[in-house]
Amino acid sequence: MAVNLKRSSGGDSDKGKTSRRRMLGWLTGAGLVGSAGLSAVSNFVFIRPRATYGQPQRFSVGKPEDYPSGTRAVLASRGICIIREGARLAAISTTCTHLGCTVGAADTGFACPCHGSRFDQDGNVTGGPAPRPLPWFQVTLAPNGEIEVDKDIEITPGSYLTL
Amino acid sequence: MSPATPPKSPFLATLMDLPKNVWRSIFRNPLPSNDLERSATSFTNFFLHIHPVKVHKHSLRPTYTFGLGLMSFFLFVILIVTGILLMFYYVPSTTQAYDRMLDLRGTVAFGTLLRNMHRWSAHGMVAVVFLHLCRVFLTGSYKKPREFNWVVGVILFLLTLFMSFTGYLLPWDQLAFWAITVGTAIAGYAPIVGKDMQFLLMGGTSVGQEALLRFYVLHVAVLPAILTLMIAIHFWRIRKDGGLSRPDDADPKPSLEAMENAVAPKASVPEPKKVYGFQGLVRGPLTKVGQVPDNTVFSWPNLFLAELFTFVVTLSAILVLSLLFNAPLEEPVNALHPPNPAKAPWYFLGLQEMVSYSAFWGGIGVPTIFVLLLLAAPYLDRGPKGVGKWFSRDRLLANTIFITFVVANIIFVIIGTFFRGANWAFVTPW
Repeated sequence: MAVNLKRSSGGDSDKGKTSRRRMLGWLTGAGLVGSAGLSAVSNFVFIRPRATYGQPQRFSVGKPEDYPSGTRAVLASRGICIIREGARLAAISTTCTHLGCTVGAADTGFACPCHGSRFDQDGNVTGGPAPRPLPWFQVTLAPNGEIEVDKDIEITPGSYLTL
Repeated sequence: MSPATPPKSPFLATLMDLPKNVWRSIFRNPLPSNDLERSATSFTNFFLHIHPVKVHKHSLRPTYTFGLGLMSFFLFVILIVTGILLMFYYVPSTTQAYDRMLDLRGTVAFGTLLRNMHRWSAHGMVAVVFLHLCRVFLTGSYKKPREFNWVVGVILFLLTLFMSFTGYLLPWDQLAFWAITVGTAIAGYAPIVGKDMQFLLMGGTSVGQEALLRFYVLHVAVLPAILTLMIAIHFWRIRKDGGLSRPDDADPKPSLEAMENAVAPKASVPEPKKVYGFQGLVRGPLTKVGQVPDNTVFSWPNLFLAELFTFVVTLSAILVLSLLFNAPLEEPVNALHPPNPAKAPWYFLGLQEMVSYSAFWGGIGVPTIFVLLLLAAPYLDRGPKGVGKWFSRDRLLANTIFITFVVANIIFVIIGTFFRGANWAFVTPW
């Protein structure tokens, strides 16, 4: 308000003075807005955890003998389904790719109780809103003879560990 | 009070007058018995000063507002009171929360009643806030000069939904766990910031203790604070925008004679360096007092009785519901198996039904478009006609579009509620 009055009454001689005042005004405003913005951002930095607690993504699921040929064993606590066909073995995720519910084993493969996504035996989408097939996880045979699943490494669906 | 002995000690007199003096120091006016004292109520009482001294008769018509805005506010008050009481016994811990729910049922005095009241008020608030939004739209009340208050109202509606969502996660039952799982996953579908938002909300990569704590803080501190601030702005704007909307013909035009007598302050041409009196701030060219037909009545008692009535009706309804029906509590969390079908509360079933077609479009795209349309409505629909009347013919197009959206959502809710069975497959309820 004061600035406006000054500008309306001031002549050309005041020009330098007025613009300096305006610039100081701009700097003050930018400083205040910038500080407010930084404070807001720092809040988000604060609430973003640096360490998270959860289950290990790499774990052992037992010996191959635990899964005779033809087995489709859902390990609910791990969020995977172990498939054994002859000498071949694989781990498919049971977390729905739609919105993260746990799919259940159905006659034709997997079905999600939350929004009706359906998957075939290999985790391919056969119906419902799921955007992607269920991921397959890397399965290796550890030196101690146990099967090890790494949920951090997704592999091409259909690639099995041959025992 | 006439003491038998004429000589009174001054101290005794002071003591005798003490209750009266204390009372008068708090309540500066007697109960109103004339118009001056009726005006004074809004001026001198802190709790009443938000009200105008006089209120338009049209604003008091029950069939115009159905008291929906007031009901929303009173439900919010009930929610705050019962919510604070429930906080005395609740622990936001994955191992304790569910047991605390059982404690509320079993050992805490009035525990069941308070939880019922909190739950049914929350459901009621979602419904009533939505009906209030419908009322404001269908009477054209969002039009100029109330555009911004409509925007505040839409934000309040969204905040109400967030409040209810963060609230029903807290019992840490099956509904809670799978609702957080699905809700944060929907947030993850938002473009650009989605994954970060999901991570921030969950406080990690999976739903657990951190997520529960975060939703608790949102529910009891962050969202109520924002909601309270927005309600204050909402109420303040009602006054500043000229009270509730009403049709043009609610105020008969002043006669020519009255116009001539009216004093027009010369404020229409702003001059630099002019010192403005209060009259310069008053909208409109005329000083209207005593010049125009007066269709207002004193807020005391007309408005205050109407508000009291609405409050009593709201509280009674919640009490009756809470005595008759217990708030549901599902099985304790089983992170391995969602219930089948896993259904959200009724007001989110439309969303769940939409999400079951496409996560992005159902959960982010369509709701965003709907909210943007709501926010933009007063800036797109600029026609001045049809304000203050239900289903005005002048607003046929706008009302038709709005009702179409509402009916579509209701249909989705009905499908989600009755026509979805195990694995969200389509079933017939009969």
